[in-house]
Formats: sequence, structure tokens, C-alpha cells
Amino acid sequence: MDERKRAEEHLRVIRTLMERATIYRAISAPTALVGSILALALSATVWVREHHWAANAPAVMRHISARRFASLWLGALAIVIGVNTFFVWRQAQRDGRPFISPSLKLALRSILPCLVFPAAVTIWFFCDGYEFDNELLLVRIWIAFYGLSLIATQHFAPRSLVLLGWGFLLTGAGMTVATRQLEYYATPLVPNLAMGFSFGLYHLVYAMCVWNSPVRPGSE
Amino acid sequence: MPDFDKLDKVIHEKGRLSIMTLLATRPAWSFQDLKAELNMSDGNLITHLRTLHKFGLVALTKEIRERPQTSYALTGKGRLAFKEYLRVLEQIVKAGRK
Repeated sequence: MDERKRAEEHLRVIRTLMERATIYRAISAPTALVGSILALALSATVWVREHHWAANAPAVMRHISARRFASLWLGALAIVIGVNTFFVWRQAQRDGRPFISPSLKLALRSILPCLVFPAAVTIWFFCDGYEFDNELLLVRIWIAFYGLSLIATQHFAPRSLVLLGWGFLLTGAGMTVATRQLEYYATPLVPNLAMGFSFGLYHLVYAMCVWNSPVRPGSE
Repeated sequence: MPDFDKLDKVIHEKGRLSIMTLLATRPAWSFQDLKAELNMSDGNLITHLRTLHKFGLVALTKEIRERPQTSYALTGKGRLAFKEYLRVLEQIVKAGRK
């Protein structure tokens, strides 16, 4: 191997290692696609069921209880976490790297603090919060803090993921500003639409945008 | 024409180059994380780290938390040497394309 080829090979090694060590996509495009389909399907199901029962039993204010609403979305979250874990594991196998890589540990260290507060609010919701139909508050917290957790990875995530995070954060903030207007409508329709719109549509757009794009520093 | 002799011979080895590259990305790396990322054996990794340390390119810190942990970082000299190595490498590639 002549010196130029060797130099090119070494530059390739440097580039690959730098990208692997400094860029980590916490949510892959396939995960985003699965998450979006699941969120849209769940949101549509809740919407249809509520309308069906509203037509058949209009005297009843709501047909899906607050706890059931939250349970359904937490179930969807559990499925998406499982799917994401599988994709991360499969990618690690393909790359010949350990599943619990330094990059994964760094991502978890960045994301987990942002999830403590929404976790606490969710526990409160199941214990007491459900009594006052507080889904709108719960959903705002989920959306905003999910956005924050994505933004927390900005030092090593591709820019597209950070933009996705800003989309969620601004949606959560906007919903807080418009609380009075949103509370006018029957619950759980607005919280359900907000979940379907943000977790469904945003992830769908993200998945389509990054499906074939390679990860490059400062790109996307 | 670039001078190949300017290439730092300590860094110009794939294993040590990989270590230097990772150390350039973060302030410090633990031995276990380096091993996991590079998929090297303990013996191989420690030999390369000792070489880099001997030439003053890498500093090591030993901490005792729940168990002893050694972390590695580039020294100022190491960072400069890595930058210079990259510069010469780019010159070689550019010269070859002309």
C-alpha cells in the first residue's frame, strides 16, 4: 500500500471513529416511523370510539376514563421503547460494537434527567390527578419534556433530532399559552389530538426526512 | 511534495491512531469505554496506551470509586501532535490527487 492510500485509509479511520464517538442518534428513523404509525393509529382509535359513543350515549360526558387514556399512551410508549431497543441492538450487532456503548451511556445520561419530572407527574396523575380530568396538563408535560430530552442530546445528536425536540417543546409551550381555549373542548379529545399530532405527525415527518440520509456532523 | 518523515511514527499506527482519535473527541475516556468502543483486547490496548503515555501524548488519571478506574486524556503535546499528524496526512492525500 503506497503512502497516499495509507493516508486515505487512516483519514477514513479517523472520520469513522470521530463520527461514532461524537454523533449518536437516540431515535432511529425506523423507530420514529413505528412510533408515528402507532401514535396516529391510537389517536384515531380513541377519536372514533369517543365519537361513536357520543352518538349512541350522549348523556355520558366521556367514555374513555382519564386513567385508561393515560394507560393506552403509556402502553404505546412501552412498545416504542421496545422497538427502539431492538433497532439499537441490531445496529450495534451490525457494527460489531457492544449494545451498551459509551455513546448509549452518554445519551441516557443526557436524557434521563429530563424524564424525572414527567415521570413524577404521571405517577401523580394515576394517584390523584385523574379525578379532575387533567389529561391536558399531563399531555403538555409529556410533549414539552420529551422535546427537552431530545434537545439535551444536542452535543452529539444530528441537527434533525434537535429540531424535532424544538418542535415538541414549542408545541408544549403553545398548548400552555392556549390552555383556556383548549380546555373549552371536551376531554379527552384535545389531549388525544395533541398526542396524535405531535407524536404521530412530527415523528412521521422526521422519519421521512432522515430515512436515507447518512449522519454527518452539523448536517440534516 | 509532502515530507513523509514528518508523520509522527508513534501515532502512525492504526491502533494508536484510533485511541488518539477517540481521546480527541472528549475530555477523558475510561479504559473500559475505550476497550468497548475500539473492540481491542486488554493487552493490546494497554500496550498502545503505555506507548502513547511514554511519549507524553496521553495522560492518565487513577480514581478509586467503587473500584479503581483509570481514565485517559490527551496532553497538550498530544493534542498538538494529533493536529499536526492530521495536517500532514491531508497534505499527502492532496499531493497524491494532483
